[in-house]
Amino acid sequence: MSAAQIRFATLWRRECNRFLKIKKQTIGAPMLETFLYITVFGAALGSRIKHLHGIDYVLFVIPGLIMMAFSTNAFSNNSSSILQQKFQGAIQDQLSSPASPAELLLAFSLGGFMRGLTVAVLTFVVSVILVGLPVEHVLVLVPSLALVGFFFSQLGVLIGVRAEQFDDVAFAQTFVLQPLIFLGGVFYSAALLPQPFETLTRFDPIFYMINLVRYGFVGFTEVSIALSLLALTAATTALFLFNLRLFSRGYRLRA
Amino acid sequence: MKALAIDNLEKRYPTGVEALRGVSLEIEEGEFFGLLGPNGAGKSTLIHCTTGLAQPTGGSIEIFGHDAIEHYAEARQAVGLAPQEPNVDWFLTVEETLDYHAGYFGMPKRERRERAKELLETFSLTEKRDERTRTLSGGMKRRLILARAVMHRPRLLILDEPTAGVDVELRLELWHYVQKINQEGTTILLTTHYLEEAEQLCDRIAFIADGQIVAEGTSEALAARFDVPNLEDAYLALVGRKELSRSHIELEVDEVEA
Repeated sequence: MSAAQIRFATLWRRECNRFLKIKKQTIGAPMLETFLYITVFGAALGSRIKHLHGIDYVLFVIPGLIMMAFSTNAFSNNSSSILQQKFQGAIQDQLSSPASPAELLLAFSLGGFMRGLTVAVLTFVVSVILVGLPVEHVLVLVPSLALVGFFFSQLGVLIGVRAEQFDDVAFAQTFVLQPLIFLGGVFYSAALLPQPFETLTRFDPIFYMINLVRYGFVGFTEVSIALSLLALTAATTALFLFNLRLFSRGYRLRA
Repeated sequence: MKALAIDNLEKRYPTGVEALRGVSLEIEEGEFFGLLGPNGAGKSTLIHCTTGLAQPTGGSIEIFGHDAIEHYAEARQAVGLAPQEPNVDWFLTVEETLDYHAGYFGMPKRERRERAKELLETFSLTEKRDERTRTLSGGMKRRLILARAVMHRPRLLILDEPTAGVDVELRLELWHYVQKINQEGTTILLTTHYLEEAEQLCDRIAFIADGQIVAEGTSEALAARFDVPNLEDAYLALVGRKELSRSHIELEVDEVEA
C-alpha cells in the first residue's frame, strides 16, 4: 500500500472504529427502532390495511424503513463524529496530517455511510427471513441506496462542520430531517393524501428517494425512476462539491 | 538547510483581530529554538499556521524547503505537534492513538506497531496501552501527546507549552527525551512560560509580543539587549513589568531587613 492509501484507510478506519465501539447505541438502537416500526405499522396496522397498490402493506412500508434507517444513521454518525472531534480538539490530529481536503471529506463521509449500510443490510436480511421482502429491480436498488446513503453522509458532514453545539445537530435532525422523512411517504402512498398535501409531498426530495428504493424492492413507484435517479445523482454530486469547497477553505475546521 | 523559514506572516481572524503582524523567523536544522511571549502574543497562532490548523492571511512559511500552503503534504509530513491542550480522542485507546496518528502520516502497519511499542516503553505507557484515553490522568495525557507527536519521526517537533501543569519528575523526563532527540538531529520549536527551561534548553530564543517578533538571539544576547542580567529580566522588560524582577524584589527585602 502507498502512503496515501495507508493514510486514507486509517482515516476511514477511525470513523468506522468509532461507531463499532459504541455499537449498542449506533447499530443496536436503530435496529430496534426499525423493528418497532415494522411491528407497529406492518403487523398491527397491516392487519387492517392489508394491501396498498396491490402490495402487502408490510412490504410497502419496509423499503421506506430501510431507506430511513440508512439515511438517518449516515447523517447522525457523521454530524456527531465531526462535532465531537471538534469539541475535543482531537480533529487537529487529522487536520495537521498530510491528508488532502478530499481525503478528509471522503473518510468522514464513508464512516456514516458504513454505519447506515450496516443497519440497512441487517434490516434487509431480517425482512427477507421474516416477511419475504423481494428485490424486483436490483439495478435500480443498489445505485439508489448508495446515492441515498452518500447524500445523507454528506449532509451529516455539512451539519457537523457547521455546528457549534450539539443542539445544532439535534435541531437539524429533529426539526428538518425527521419531518421530511416521515412526510415523504415512508408509511403511506402520496396518492392517498388529500390536496394540497399530495402536491406538497412532491416538493419533498425524500419522497423521490423513498420511491426509488421502493421500486427497487417491490417494483412500485409514484414517480419517474430515471428522472429521480438523475436528480438524486445531481444533488449528491452538488452537495459533495459544496462540502469539498468548505473543506478546501477550512471552513469552521481551520482557524 | 532551514528547518523553518517564516516570512512576513500575517494572520487576521474574521473577527478583525490581528494575531500575527508580519512575523519573520528562521530556524536552522537541528536547532533547539524557543518562542517566548505573554498570553495572546501570537505564539499558538504562529504554530497553528505552521501546522495547517490556521490559515495565514499573508506571508509565507517553508518547512525544510516545502511551502506549507502550496505543498502542505510534504511540509506537514516533516512536522510533529504536541499542542497546548491534550487533545486526545476519547474513543481511542492509548495504543490506537499512536497507531492512527502514524497511519495518518502513511506509516506501514508493521512499522507502526514497532514504533508504538518503543514509544509506549519510552513514555511509561505500556501498562495503559489498552485503556481509553479519557481515563488517563493529566500527566499521562501529556506523555501521550508527546509520544503521538514524535510517532511519525518528524524532522521538526513543535512543542506548545508541553510542561504546563505537569509535576517536576515528568517535566524532567520529557526534557531528557526532547534533548535526546534534538541531539539525534530533530529540530525543536518550543513555546513555554518557564523561562529557566528556555534558558537551559534553547540555542536561540525569540520574543513575540502583539503579533510581532521583537527580539531574537541567545539568552545572553537577549539579556544584553535589554541591559539586564538574565533572560527572565529581559522578558519582564519586554512586557513592561520590570518591577517584578527577582533582583528588584531581593533588593527591597534587603532594604527592609537593613
